[in-house]
Amino acid sequence: MSDVPTRDADGMIVFRPKPSEPPPPNTTGVIGWLRFNLFNGIFSTLATLIGLAALIYVFLAFYDWAFVKGVWEAQNRQECRLGKEWGTCWAGVEFWFSRFIYGRYPDAEMWRINLAALVLVLWMAPLWIPRVTAKSVIGLSAVLVFPFLAGYMFLGGERNLFMAAVVPVTMVWFVATMAHVVLCVLTGYGLGRWIIHLTGFGNRSDRAAKYPLMAAAAVAWLLVLFAIRDWTLVEVGTNRWGGLFLTTVISGIGIASALPSGIVLALGRRSKMPIIRVLCIGFIELFRSVPLITILFMATTMFPLFLPEGLVFNKLASAIVAVCLFAAAYMAETVRGGLQAIPKGQYEAAEAVGLGYWKVMGLIVLPQALKLMIPNIVGNFIGLFKDTTLVSIIGLYDLLGMVKAVSHDPQWIGLHHEPLFTAALMFFLACFAMSKYSQYLERKLGAGDRR
Amino acid sequence: MAIAEKSGAVPGIGALVNDGRYRAVFYQIVVFGLVFWLIYSLVLNTQHNLETRGMTASFDFLFGTAGFAIAWTPLDYKPNDSYFFVYWVGIVNTLIISVISIILATVLGFFVGILRLSKNWLIAQIAAWYVEFLRNTPLLLQILFWYLGAFASLPRPKSSIHIFGLDWLVLNNRGFYFPYPEADNLFWLTPVALLIGLLAAFWYNRKSRIRQLSTGVYRSTLWQTLGLVIGLPVLVFVATGMPLNWEIPALKGFNYRGGTFILPSMCSVLVAMVVYHSAYAAEMVRAGIQSVSHGQTEAAYSLGLKPNWTLRLVIIPQAMRAIVPPMISLWMNIVKNSSLAIAIGFPDLVAVFMQTSLNQSGHAIEIVGMVMLFYMTVSLTISGCLNIYNSRIQLKER
Repeated sequence: MSDVPTRDADGMIVFRPKPSEPPPPNTTGVIGWLRFNLFNGIFSTLATLIGLAALIYVFLAFYDWAFVKGVWEAQNRQECRLGKEWGTCWAGVEFWFSRFIYGRYPDAEMWRINLAALVLVLWMAPLWIPRVTAKSVIGLSAVLVFPFLAGYMFLGGERNLFMAAVVPVTMVWFVATMAHVVLCVLTGYGLGRWIIHLTGFGNRSDRAAKYPLMAAAAVAWLLVLFAIRDWTLVEVGTNRWGGLFLTTVISGIGIASALPSGIVLALGRRSKMPIIRVLCIGFIELFRSVPLITILFMATTMFPLFLPEGLVFNKLASAIVAVCLFAAAYMAETVRGGLQAIPKGQYEAAEAVGLGYWKVMGLIVLPQALKLMIPNIVGNFIGLFKDTTLVSIIGLYDLLGMVKAVSHDPQWIGLHHEPLFTAALMFFLACFAMSKYSQYLERKLGAGDRR
Repeated sequence: MAIAEKSGAVPGIGALVNDGRYRAVFYQIVVFGLVFWLIYSLVLNTQHNLETRGMTASFDFLFGTAGFAIAWTPLDYKPNDSYFFVYWVGIVNTLIISVISIILATVLGFFVGILRLSKNWLIAQIAAWYVEFLRNTPLLLQILFWYLGAFASLPRPKSSIHIFGLDWLVLNNRGFYFPYPEADNLFWLTPVALLIGLLAAFWYNRKSRIRQLSTGVYRSTLWQTLGLVIGLPVLVFVATGMPLNWEIPALKGFNYRGGTFILPSMCSVLVAMVVYHSAYAAEMVRAGIQSVSHGQTEAAYSLGLKPNWTLRLVIIPQAMRAIVPPMISLWMNIVKNSSLAIAIGFPDLVAVFMQTSLNQSGHAIEIVGMVMLFYMTVSLTISGCLNIYNSRIQLKER
């Protein structure tokens, strides 16, 4: 049957190639993968075996340390040791865990930190919801408005005139943002549109439409101002702030301030005006060439001399200022790298269209430059988050400071490994998540550039 | 009308903001004025604050007696030496840990970076996770971990650990003890021989390269170079009767004497800094090697170059162009990060000068200024070298 050549309608022999043989069984599938990636020659096999042995050894040692010897129920370190010889005292970490997160913040007031964190999450989450409009306003307000609300929630105490006016603004803003998001998702129209329509201004001119919005904002502000006039939170001094909470506050302020100040400094460094350029170069080079710890020491020892009499910075404020200065200088260099990578033709084309300096930068150059530098910018953020641990050297109780404090607790004296491991894990998870997200963002935003 | 206005000799106030010719000058004057006012008011405040505290800003205190001991220094420091000597001790200690960390971190980084590119999946994954774990935890935490976790809980001198089972490498809770060479009279001839050997090898290689360029004949200079650089000094060393005495550490009483030692805190700083920065160096090496396009390898093969020649003459020179600039900034970071040694009490510049001396003498401005001056000098020197290197290896484009 197979010997008979196939012929078409005219009787010509049709060439019919034999079906191809399957690849040799040991070059495909799992076996093929193993052969090529793990046992490809003598050296590779040897390396695989050594690597495997090392991995198993490390894993077993860790398993033994963390789980076999782990003690989860104990009142103090002595009990940890009694049960099993040199038991790994996870009970101490459990006992101190809320201190790692909140520092020495009073137990009764911890809900304020949780609530502020929840508010921040709610405030930022709409940025990832596609149907929501006015995202730039929401994002900017999360950076510019939220800190005042959070600042009051963390500090508490009697509100002075400024805070008395600002706190209701932040509350109204948050509620309006939430209402806007819900309306956007449900109806497709934002809060502003709804207010204009419901007040009957929908068929008036656009110029008139701002009046109902302003009126609504003013009424809401007055209502809240009146409603919370007697409401105060218990004051919690910054000396009781600590743990992951303090780390987040310091690095959060540093990160939020670094990008705008870094952009300004980078533009200044590339400016054509000599005085501005020299000042920016001086600032950037000064703060980039010295270690953060010297800037922190400078902040704690020299700020009291610099400031006019009567104005006293506490340690936390000094540290935050130092971190912001440091972060700005580093971010400026990152942004400058991005600016330099934009071809000159982009500047020239934008100028040829008739855009002024700020429009060239804001609409054409910076969006491209920042997109290009996303991995480096996030790398900067991660670095800043890690560098925040240095404030423990000048005596603030950030996450690392709290971890060190465990070993001074008489109950858990000398407990080092377990708390340090816990802190390392927390830092690793946060930084690893940030770097993975930046890689995702890079792929997503770079989709247009790939072929 | 419009023309008349434009050519008018006296520009209005609006021209300061709207006319490109005056705007730049105007903005610069405003910014300069603001910065000048800021600095001026800071200086005034500082003067006032110093007066109220009954202090004066001057460097006279540098020659006063420091009066405190420093736990570790290779210099001959005594508590009754001056603050200026303390500054110098701090600089030397900082430079020692920086230089050792730089060398070891770079070597380890190259090794891990090459492992990351291994075709063996398991090895590449192990190297990748090594890098991820180390880069995503703070250096300060790692230093504390090595110190509290490993080096601070070492046994007492009586039950010291002998590394590799060798009697003369001793590790205990007082530090790491190792032999120290004591030079005799004629020892100075050996370094001189080494210098002569280096110069001669350099000259010989240069000559053979010139000959290769003019005649096309390649001759290996490996053995001649090795002979000049290693053989000559060894020969001189042996000929002068091996004038080096190794002082071996030995247990006397409760502690080890002889040889030299480094503190447990220094061991932990070194190990932590080397391991942490090696992860960064590994990433740079990997990125550098991957930045050389595969077409270069194929082109070299099609020209008939052997694989190891391809690596040496084509891949590595191009990869170095991408590796060296970030590597030098990493070295700069190592110098800066060595200041974290203060957290576990190693007496580096920040610890002895910016903490102890500052707390004792109270001269904040001078001391902060001097410490920053040192770090700025190092940074600017390194980045100056980097700029020279960059301009030399830059692609020669038309």
